[in-house]
Amino acid sequence: MSIPLVINLRPRLLILLAMALLTTNAHATATGPVVRLFPTTVLEDIRETGQAAEAMENSLQEVIGRLDLQQQLFSESLCDGADGDQGCDRIAKQLGATYLEMLNIMSDGLPDMERAVDSTRRSLEKRLREELGQRTTPTMLQNTLLGEVSATPQTVRPALRGKSGIRLSGRFKQYYDLVATHNNGPSQSLAVVAADIYLDMEEASMLIAATQQEISRAALMEQLNQSFGLITPEMSAVVSGVKEILFGEAMTNAPIAAPPNAVGETDFVSPLAM
Amino acid sequence: MSRITISAVFITATLVLLGACATQPVADVCTGKLPGNLDRAISEVEHRLRQGCDYHFNAYFTSLLAIAAENPDRDNPRRFSDHLMNVQADGVISRRQASALYNRFFNVKFVSFTGDYNTCAQACPVRTQILTDMRAELTDKEMGLVKVSDDPERFYRADNLFLEADLVLEATCRACQGGRPSPDELASRNR
Repeated sequence: MSIPLVINLRPRLLILLAMALLTTNAHATATGPVVRLFPTTVLEDIRETGQAAEAMENSLQEVIGRLDLQQQLFSESLCDGADGDQGCDRIAKQLGATYLEMLNIMSDGLPDMERAVDSTRRSLEKRLREELGQRTTPTMLQNTLLGEVSATPQTVRPALRGKSGIRLSGRFKQYYDLVATHNNGPSQSLAVVAADIYLDMEEASMLIAATQQEISRAALMEQLNQSFGLITPEMSAVVSGVKEILFGEAMTNAPIAAPPNAVGETDFVSPLAM
Repeated sequence: MSRITISAVFITATLVLLGACATQPVADVCTGKLPGNLDRAISEVEHRLRQGCDYHFNAYFTSLLAIAAENPDRDNPRRFSDHLMNVQADGVISRRQASALYNRFFNVKFVSFTGDYNTCAQACPVRTQILTDMRAELTDKEMGLVKVSDDPERFYRADNLFLEADLVLEATCRACQGGRPSPDELASRNR
């Protein structure tokens, strides 16, 4: 069944969260080529991705609430394994119908997400190629990664990734607001941030496309399941996954694309040092 | 020529030859055990190098690292820096070699990830090789920064730098290729 693909989308979408936060560094450094990795166009792409996420959220919120109630009813009615019980069959069919509704909403919303993600990916690709690929030497790149502009005080900002309990669109808005209004953020390796986002956007684009292709098949499978009144474990998993993505519930701790640790240099500096 | 004269010439020649031998390094001078104290070991190495044991330089450097690892100290990088400067001043190694050696072991930055041309042109075609070299250099940095200098924080920075360089190079090189994996990347995947 196609549902695992839908589930696989989750970490990619979580990356979108990180993407928005990571761009809080866009104005962090005043000099060097890296600052140009996040021009206004990229920020605008991020804002649009947030809007697409918000639209999907809003449209899914009601149906997921219904799914929750139906699932709870199914569970409290001890319908698990109760084959042949008419009441349970009815609940199962209702659940399946709501699930189909959710798939349709996702199917409607994904093209906008796809466009937003692809736009971010393409604009970042251009910036990476020009700024890090063509205008930067390996030596400069290494210096950039090490954050030669150090000792900038850390400012309060949201955690990069992890359990937040914040809605996807809310995080995007929060990050965008930070980027748009904050000019003296911490000095961090924007190159890493841009690279991380770009690679994730690439993967997200592919997964969204694959998911779109599979949704229709998933819907068909569910329509068939409707005939038998089944609730598949995959249905539950998908619903949980969508909730995690959109509403920040029980989000997993993804690895953080952190800049190098700001550990102070030792006092001694060799005349041989690079 | 009388026998006495011949004998005198022979003896003189022998003495001259023996005297000449005395200025050449003998095996014992070059290969003897170094003292356990790093400062004394460095002095001894520099003395031997001045005696003509140049070809043992690499072995000496390895030995000094091993001795230093037995006596980890935050000041050890300075000792090695001074040593390399002295050796370079004596003409045993070049300034570039001295710098490369020092940075390889005691700097967070990677000698194997440097260059003056743009990243797309210089690094991307040999990205896999660069990362292989950086990984090997990271092992040397572990020796220099953790074992010799007792400075794990700097080693963690180097380790982090390596991981970030890997990530940034992958993204940048893909961007250089217009979103397609580079030939180097494809080759490494197929291996």
